[in-house]
Amino acid sequence: MPSVILAVDDSASMRQMVRFTLENAGYEVVQAMDGVEALDYAKAGNADLVLTDVNMPRMDGITLVRELRNLTNYKGVPILVLTTEAGQDTKMQGKQAGATGWIVKPFNPEQLLATIQRVL
Amino acid sequence: MLSNPSELTAQTGSMQGPSHWSPQQQTARMLALCEAQMEAATQDSDQAVDTLVQAFTELVSIVRDMGKLTNAPTPAGEESAAPGSLDEINQRCTALSNQVAAAIVAFQFYDKLSQRLGHVRYSLSTLALFICDRMNSQKPEHWEKLLLTLGRLYRTTEERAIFDSIAGSLALTSSEAIRPLSQANSHDGSIELF
Repeated sequence: MPSVILAVDDSASMRQMVRFTLENAGYEVVQAMDGVEALDYAKAGNADLVLTDVNMPRMDGITLVRELRNLTNYKGVPILVLTTEAGQDTKMQGKQAGATGWIVKPFNPEQLLATIQRVL
Repeated sequence: MLSNPSELTAQTGSMQGPSHWSPQQQTARMLALCEAQMEAATQDSDQAVDTLVQAFTELVSIVRDMGKLTNAPTPAGEESAAPGSLDEINQRCTALSNQVAAAIVAFQFYDKLSQRLGHVRYSLSTLALFICDRMNSQKPEHWEKLLLTLGRLYRTTEERAIFDSIAGSLALTSSEAIRPLSQANSHDGSIELF
């Protein structure tokens, strides 16, 4: 069974790039357009890893990380933040919310896959 | 954020009649025009880029499948393709795979671009509303407050570099402010595990 990755981004082209990269590496990808949609999925199903953007409508990525960590079945699931933001303040907010790692866009496919393999 | 430029026009007045004429309202009108043009251009680009990305990923998938087929053993009794042509196809597939990673990185420029344009649009809308507020727009401290508020929007390293250069004490020109970008881009693709 391939690992399931929940990819969260409000940009359709970014979701497409992430899905393409991950599916070619053998992962199963579930997509969500924002934090609310991702949280709905997380409550109903299990993902082995979550990859989320920060700036999204309805619910941002930092809030999503915090909400996911409150769910029993997501306490130990790796959550990687994939964002254009590289500022220390936002990064610290992500860390405090419970994120596993921080990746600044644009991502390099090989490096993204290596990081995912490392934390899974 | 104001999602619709007409919302801005509605809030700043119609600005058509002579009784409503003021330099502030005319400036707001021009800013609303800029914002509307940016929004329309971004929406058009969204659709085009989505189609482009979709076409690209499907093309690459097809070529990869073709590469796998050339490597599959020939069924017994069937004539295999000339070894030279198979090697040629394999070489082309390998070359394509090497370009895919570079293309995926390059395609992501659009996500960053649309995010930055969104911040500029929001700044224009906010500025238009602010200048129509004749009481507050006369007070320097309210301009400082506005600058601080808008400054919080610019969170990528590149945006901060430009904002700090222009709005900070250095007060550089726009072309001078773009110079630190080569340093700002050094964060691209960085990975940190906590």
